[in-house]
Amino acid sequence: MQVILLAIVTFIFAIDQFSLTELLYRPIIACPIIGAILGDVKTGLVIGGTYELMMVGNMPVGGAQPPNAVLGGVVAMIFAVKSQLPVDQALGLAVVFSIFGQYAVTLTFTVMSGLMAKADQAAENADPKGITNVNLISMCILGTLFAVLAVVAYIGGEAAGNALQTFSTNASWFMGGLGAAGGMMRYVGFAVLLKIMLADDMWGIYLAGFAAAALFGNVTATSGATLILVAFIGAAIAIYDYNANVKIKELKGNGGASDGI
Amino acid sequence: MASNDELVYVDQTPAPALDKATLNKMVWRSMNLQASFNYERMQAAGWLWSILPGLEKIHTNKDDLATSMKHNLEFFNTHPFLVTFVMGIVLSMEQNKADINSIRAVRVAAMGPLGGIGDALFWFTLVPITAGITANMAISGSAVGPILYFIITFGVQMLLRYWLMYWSYAMGTGAIEVLTKNAREFTHAAAMLGVFVVGALTCNYGATKLGMKIPNGTKIDATTKETVANYIDLQALLDGILPALIPLALTLMCYALIKKKQWSPTKCIVLLLVIGIVGCAFGIWSGTYTALVPVPWH
Repeated sequence: MQVILLAIVTFIFAIDQFSLTELLYRPIIACPIIGAILGDVKTGLVIGGTYELMMVGNMPVGGAQPPNAVLGGVVAMIFAVKSQLPVDQALGLAVVFSIFGQYAVTLTFTVMSGLMAKADQAAENADPKGITNVNLISMCILGTLFAVLAVVAYIGGEAAGNALQTFSTNASWFMGGLGAAGGMMRYVGFAVLLKIMLADDMWGIYLAGFAAAALFGNVTATSGATLILVAFIGAAIAIYDYNANVKIKELKGNGGASDGI
Repeated sequence: MASNDELVYVDQTPAPALDKATLNKMVWRSMNLQASFNYERMQAAGWLWSILPGLEKIHTNKDDLATSMKHNLEFFNTHPFLVTFVMGIVLSMEQNKADINSIRAVRVAAMGPLGGIGDALFWFTLVPITAGITANMAISGSAVGPILYFIITFGVQMLLRYWLMYWSYAMGTGAIEVLTKNAREFTHAAAMLGVFVVGALTCNYGATKLGMKIPNGTKIDATTKETVANYIDLQALLDGILPALIPLALTLMCYALIKKKQWSPTKCIVLLLVIGIVGCAFGIWSGTYTALVPVPWH
């Protein structure tokens, strides 16, 4: 019973880390809930609070993937309550699982790139249901992978942690490759946008945007606001272009006919 | 030609304004923006799902709905808590049947800058402060801690979502009249801004780096005065030529394959998967992993 409830909440937290409230998965909320399932809310509050403070310096910003907090929290709770390990030791053992959480995320994000073709087809047929399904499939993949890892931790305990450790050393090149490829896939997204938007007279604008980001992004003082600053420059160019072209149109339109006024 | 080349909607009559119930529904749906997050188009399918109730009301013509769904399924990435700002503007343009290139350009231009603002507001300010207050309550065993944490962060988040949705929808609707008078000029300017932002994203989101450090004799460390191994860092060499050279090259490669060779995006993804995994087997890309083939440079 406990293990089923645990799998269910892990499933929900895994989805929540990117969707829903994006808050329930935070250790301060998740750990007490898991504590309630395992029968020790008090430890849940302590681990949750400690872990939350640890994470303050480790926010999911700028698209970077921090060590996975969902599995970190869930597994630390299992080890602390079920195996009666001290809090810091439980958190330490949970790290290997949180690395696998990261793998699960990478895997899902990669697989879902392939499923975009299915979404395209749904759009082609003006089929809202198809879009809903793509989103549901993705949430289920992510949730299931995490739930499985939580169950492994629950049943296998520390032995499972060691087995995963060995596996992750041996397969690290493959997972690293998936991660590297994952980081490259956005270029396909950019290429599709460019295919449509990039008129032949706009190559300079594209490279100018690239240069502006390279400049702001590599200066410590401005790197946090790179895209806002880039947008300022881009807006200036666009507004200038708009006003100039409107003027030209007006002048053309007023040309001969209104000369006499 | 590929599918998303329609330029205007068949039905050019502006749709009636969206009612409150639909707008509210989309605010709630916006929470699942990242439901099908993926590396190729990031939040695209979640974005489309979030605005679908509005699109279905706006585009009663089935072909137009398909057109709209297709172009709203292109690369999209913004801050999940601020997305309703982009939604409001895009919906007001869809409702007035604006030129598709304009809608796309405005969408791309609006999504970029929000990321930094959202992170600064939420993850660097609100959450650390709230966590600082409530975590200690939790550690001392009080269940009020987590509950308070949830109420504050969730409340702020939802207020932002609602307010941005209504504000930007009203703003977009107000601005549209001026813009439709000079639609062609606006489209051109918006496309320029969009291309500019995609150029910036290529550099800013492009994280692909070489991990090759070729052993090259020894050197004397400046601070410790000890002899240490010397490496030639290939990525540093590349950065000296052009920062983010690899992201730019790979983007242009995909562009050429898609535009000139008519490759599908899926085919490009498979190619990148191979490049990524084979590259790591030989220790070419950066990252903390052990290469499959023992190589001197990783």
